[in-house]
Amino acid sequence: MTRADWVIVISAVALLPFLYALYWGNAAPGDRVLVLVNGKEVLAASLATDQEFAVDGPLGTSHIKVHGGQVRFTDSPCANKLCVHTGWLHHGGEFAACLPNRVSLVVSGLNNRYDTINF
Amino acid sequence: MTTGTSPMTANRVTQVFRCAVSLLAAALIVTACSHRPHEHHEQLVVFGTLVDITIFDADDESIARASAGITADLNRLHRTWHAWETSTLTAINDRFAHGEGAIVDAEGMRILRRAQELSIASGGLFNPAVGKLIELWGFHQDDAPKGPPPPAEVVAELVAKNPQMSDLTFSDTAVTSSNPDVQLDLGAFAKGYAVDRAIGIVRAAGIENAIVNAGGDLRAIGHHGGRPWRIGIRNPGGPGILASVEVTGDESVFTSGTYERYFDYEGTRYSHIIDPRSGYPADGATSVTVIHTNGATADAAATALLVAGPEHWANVARQMGIENVMLVDKGNNIHMTLKMAQRVQFEGEAPSVVIVADPP
Repeated sequence: MTRADWVIVISAVALLPFLYALYWGNAAPGDRVLVLVNGKEVLAASLATDQEFAVDGPLGTSHIKVHGGQVRFTDSPCANKLCVHTGWLHHGGEFAACLPNRVSLVVSGLNNRYDTINF
Repeated sequence: MTTGTSPMTANRVTQVFRCAVSLLAAALIVTACSHRPHEHHEQLVVFGTLVDITIFDADDESIARASAGITADLNRLHRTWHAWETSTLTAINDRFAHGEGAIVDAEGMRILRRAQELSIASGGLFNPAVGKLIELWGFHQDDAPKGPPPPAEVVAELVAKNPQMSDLTFSDTAVTSSNPDVQLDLGAFAKGYAVDRAIGIVRAAGIENAIVNAGGDLRAIGHHGGRPWRIGIRNPGGPGILASVEVTGDESVFTSGTYERYFDYEGTRYSHIIDPRSGYPADGATSVTVIHTNGATADAAATALLVAGPEHWANVARQMGIENVMLVDKGNNIHMTLKMAQRVQFEGEAPSVVIVADPP
């Protein structure tokens, strides 16, 4: 190989991480969860990392857990806990909400299988 | 390529190096200039539900305008058409109960006339005049009722009063009912109307690609970038997704299901969708999904076809002019129109499917 060839090869390899980040950065398997309070996004997190969030709404603190590429409400200061009973979400477009505490979450990402869920 | 050196090599290295650098720079410039079209989510707690708005590729100002407009309009509709909290509708019902007519504004007239048309087209299976029955079953409250079911003779008595949308007559500004037992409950229509209004507001804000999903029922316009919107239909028999459909242009996808609101009492499940003919919860189907341009029509049709059940839904769909229907019966068998079958994709193992030929 000539030096010219090496330059080409090295440039190409150097471009790879950049291209990977550009085209796959937001669309990794599991996608993202957006958490909203009063309809405004307060945080976005990858579903690829197990983590827990405490989000404050007008009634108190709602607890949200990300585990194994899924997300759910684990506790909320509301009366009937419909948000907790909704259970795990992982399909793009799925959403759950604690209406009394005005906290909601939606699974999102560019390469979702679904854009929204009908039920 | 050669491995030796020649007088030309140094020149070629420089040329190739320049070329590579130019290419890299060009790639960076192109990606920096072309903004990545983005998907935006807006969630509003209005109309007693969560309204999830998905918008593709619009500017922040348009999104904020649409969001504020939808919040204001759906709050207004909620106050106007609420079936049991004090509202314009409960005032109309009070007048009917006293044998009096009610003054209704132009929008109210349009809504009630349309509900009457749909009710008549459905052969009375979509019947928003049976508010008393819905209340009797305990579904005029935010929480699920606990039971027991109402006494059979009380149910029979209400059914015998035969409240129908055809009992209503309209003048220019007023609506009267010839039957004092007509009590309106637009539960199977108002959400569709609200979603239609919301899409109108989205369009007026200059947004071309959006989905408005109000607690599971939706209308979608435009597309998701270079592909159609993909809608997952939740499995009525359990967790997960039953099927998906692709939607472009302007279509509403509405599902009525017995699993949405119900109560269990002594081992029997009672759902919120009441068959106006018997006064008892509809029992033949678990869910019906309808695709139609207009949200209010899709909403009313999904309810009417669920009441019709697996034996009669196809006839009622024809009467109502509904071409895309999927019904899941109690045995989890799927019944579909041919048009629907051509666009539904099942997730996982295909269930037992009965396709009903479309009318000629």
